[in-house]
Amino acid sequence: MDTHAVETALRWIVLVPLCGAAVNGLLVRRMPRRAAGLLGCGTVAVSFVLSVRLFMRLLDLAPAERVLEDTVATWVAMGRLTIDIGFVMDPLGAVMALVVTGVGLLIHIYSLGYMAHDEGFNRFFAYMNLFIFAMLTLVLGENLVMLFVGWEGVGLCSYLLISFWFGDEANAAAGKKAFIVNRVGDFGFLLGMLVIGVTLLPHLAPGEGLFSFQTLAEHAPLLAPAATLIGLLLFFGATGKSAQIPLYIWLPDAMAGPTPVSALIHAATMVTAGVYMIARLNFVYVLSPTAMLVVAIVGGATALFAATIALTQNDIKKVLAYSTVSQLGYMMLACGVGAFGVGIFHLMTHAFFKALLFLGSGSVIHAMSDEQDMRLMGGLRRKMPLTWPTFVVGTLALAGVFPFAGFFSKDEILWKAFSGGGVWLWLLGFLGAGLTAFYMMRLVSLTFLGRNRASEDVKHHIHESPATMTAPLVILAVLSLAGGWIGIPHFMGGSNHFEHWLEPVFHHEVVVAGDHGAHGTSHDIGHDAHGETATAGHAAHAPAGGHDHAAEEAMEWTLASASLAWALLGLLLGWWVYAKRASIAERWQSLAGGVPYRVLLNKYYVDEAYEASLIRPGHALSEKVLWKSVDVGLIDGLMVNGSALAVAILSSVLRLFQNGSLRFYVYVFSTGLFVFMLYFTLSA
Amino acid sequence: METVLFYLFGAMTLGGAVMTVASRSAVVSAVWLVFAFVSAAGIFALLAAPFLAILQILIYAGAIMVLFLFVIMMLQGPVLPAERERRGLPKLLVLAAPAAAIAVIVIGWLARRGVTAFDGPPVEAGTAARVAELLLNRYLLAFELISVVLLVAIIGALALGRREEDRPWR
Amino acid sequence: MAIGLIHYLALAAALFLVGMAGVTIRRNSLIMLMSIEIMLCAVNIVFAAYSRVHGDLSGHVFVMMNFAVAAAEAAIGLAILVEIHRLRRTVNVDELKTLME
Repeated sequence: MDTHAVETALRWIVLVPLCGAAVNGLLVRRMPRRAAGLLGCGTVAVSFVLSVRLFMRLLDLAPAERVLEDTVATWVAMGRLTIDIGFVMDPLGAVMALVVTGVGLLIHIYSLGYMAHDEGFNRFFAYMNLFIFAMLTLVLGENLVMLFVGWEGVGLCSYLLISFWFGDEANAAAGKKAFIVNRVGDFGFLLGMLVIGVTLLPHLAPGEGLFSFQTLAEHAPLLAPAATLIGLLLFFGATGKSAQIPLYIWLPDAMAGPTPVSALIHAATMVTAGVYMIARLNFVYVLSPTAMLVVAIVGGATALFAATIALTQNDIKKVLAYSTVSQLGYMMLACGVGAFGVGIFHLMTHAFFKALLFLGSGSVIHAMSDEQDMRLMGGLRRKMPLTWPTFVVGTLALAGVFPFAGFFSKDEILWKAFSGGGVWLWLLGFLGAGLTAFYMMRLVSLTFLGRNRASEDVKHHIHESPATMTAPLVILAVLSLAGGWIGIPHFMGGSNHFEHWLEPVFHHEVVVAGDHGAHGTSHDIGHDAHGETATAGHAAHAPAGGHDHAAEEAMEWTLASASLAWALLGLLLGWWVYAKRASIAERWQSLAGGVPYRVLLNKYYVDEAYEASLIRPGHALSEKVLWKSVDVGLIDGLMVNGSALAVAILSSVLRLFQNGSLRFYVYVFSTGLFVFMLYFTLSA
Repeated sequence: METVLFYLFGAMTLGGAVMTVASRSAVVSAVWLVFAFVSAAGIFALLAAPFLAILQILIYAGAIMVLFLFVIMMLQGPVLPAERERRGLPKLLVLAAPAAAIAVIVIGWLARRGVTAFDGPPVEAGTAARVAELLLNRYLLAFELISVVLLVAIIGALALGRREEDRPWR
Repeated sequence: MAIGLIHYLALAAALFLVGMAGVTIRRNSLIMLMSIEIMLCAVNIVFAAYSRVHGDLSGHVFVMMNFAVAAAEAAIGLAILVEIHRLRRTVNVDELKTLME
């Protein structure tokens, strides 16, 4: 085992928010609002500062040694099974920690304003801090079990926060749906962990942590025979947490929670846990091209599928929700073709602009007196001078327009999909990108442009949001613009700092599935197409065997330009239809008998299909079989009442012997006596 | 001679006992029991226990049964109510098990030992003198204890016999 | 056939059985007491018979103890019955059950 630098501050990054949650949670009724808000934001700020400090420390280390460890205690020590409670920060962990704490901090500050009039203000901050704690455990955990603890923890917090306004039955139902659907995925996750454990346990030395990422990486070749199974099972868990097909259904419903929750949990951080998990276990996934192909296909399909649904939704948050599902698909697509670093890059840029968009929509909803239907909005750009431009920045970033952050990350994904996975995967992403631009422009047009369609009362109340809400918007807008610049790829003249930073985590050879054999066989992830090594700082072009250098670069330029043009086209079309000629939209809606429109509006009736095929049978099974038959009939009736009845019957038989009748007693007594005598006589 | 007497007295004893148990009225039962006891005295005589025979008549037939009759008369009154129709286990069935057991024991005995007569005339007859000798020498302790038993019985009977109001205890 | 020990024992056994039958079958407690006396008598016969066999008069002594005990027991038993009759106006053993209704 390599020994790495120890850094005890790591545990505090994770634990400080927990303390905040504990204090706010236990003293929820007694804390004054200001104090609760201050504490809630303060703890996250502390974590952020510590994360930055440790990031700087990592920078000081040589690239191959950039790992900080902090083992807190041993959790399980049973024979060969050792599981520690510990944290680790490598480049990947640093990126995640900074995103979680940084964006998290901005959202906490935003919540000071957004939740200011809410009764559950203190409770909100307690839950949010608890979430930060769980998410940091997830990303900084040194082993798969810690990751899973954080995984479940964020699921719990998601439930608590989605049904934050639990007085309304619908909100509670949404929270339940999120938790239960996640649980289904977690079952796959646990099975995956089980397979890993069973495969690896016999080969471990005593004291080696079974699920420790370091151990898993070292013994990765031993997992090769089971790699496909492990990859698929873990990915099933990821489809739950990261809202991919088939378990994405909870995310749109999760919009029932307060908007900061949607921004933090369902856009920037929790839903990215699946992507993080796959990136973290890249050394397992690269052993199974099959699993990676599945990940890529599901990701690409989800990207396109969700984008089509987003075209028709009328609730502003629902559009953003489906957009998130779609963008997560892109991240999965990247991981599936072996470009783990690119997936994380998109995770980061997406956190910036999606959080921005959600917070902006929160600002809009706030101004519109809690109205979320875009058909009743319009013309808000005149009345919301800070929300409007920041929202535009977010839209452009999401659509992937140069030079905003989304352009670089999404483009890189499409390139990797093309070069590593083949034309079809690229096409899924490409089409989705166009739709993305279109529906975002639709959203912007309906919300900010044109005339205001709200009622008079609502119109009067429209106002820009307070500074605590707009300041984070501005900061996120800056990040959405500049955040991609650390990942400018080589073919554009940049040095792709981001991918080089992440290289030590992903330095494996990968066999990628796809129909471009020439590009496919041996492709170092973390390097771009020109095969640069980590230590070479800048654009030294060392040709790696057999690649046609210039042709590849030309292809990259082509694809990048095509994506940009396509995105601009989508934006233009969206603006034209929804800001200028609304009648076109209506004509589209009634195309082909209105059927396509209704299918998309009703989300392909997927929820209804699940309801009919899984939920109702499950319900019927629970009620008729498990409840009525087993619980009432078998357990209550046969076992509990039955044993009582048996005792009663037995005792009523025995009771006959105690009838108080003297004569009977004499008879029994003497008969017994005679039997004894008989026995003795015969045995003599 | 002895045989005849044995069967005679035996039958009388057994018959008297059966009639005791079978009679409907308690007084009749008591009288039959007197008869049975007197016959039992005859059995004792056959067994060379003249003292016991006399005592049997004196104590059992003379004292105990008289006591029984007194109490019966006191409790049952002039007209003795007959017992009602008997419910419960049929009488003979009740006896089946013990009877079978005893039969088996007896038959077992017979099978092993065979029917043998006494070895000879009695070694000594159980005269009063001889019994007294034993009683007052070897079994003196038992004798004394028995008198205590009788004393206790007297006290008990007296205590139980008092009327409600006369009892100093409650 | 000469009379031997077994005859007397058989007689005693039969007598004992009769006594037991009386205790079991009759509900009148006075008759039950009398049946107990019959059983005691049977026991006496056994002792006397064995005394004859062994030539030892200790059996006779025990029979006398038996007489005394039987007398004492009859006296006490009857006193109790009298008392019960005072309270319950019955000597029917079936009516004297309070354990089971």
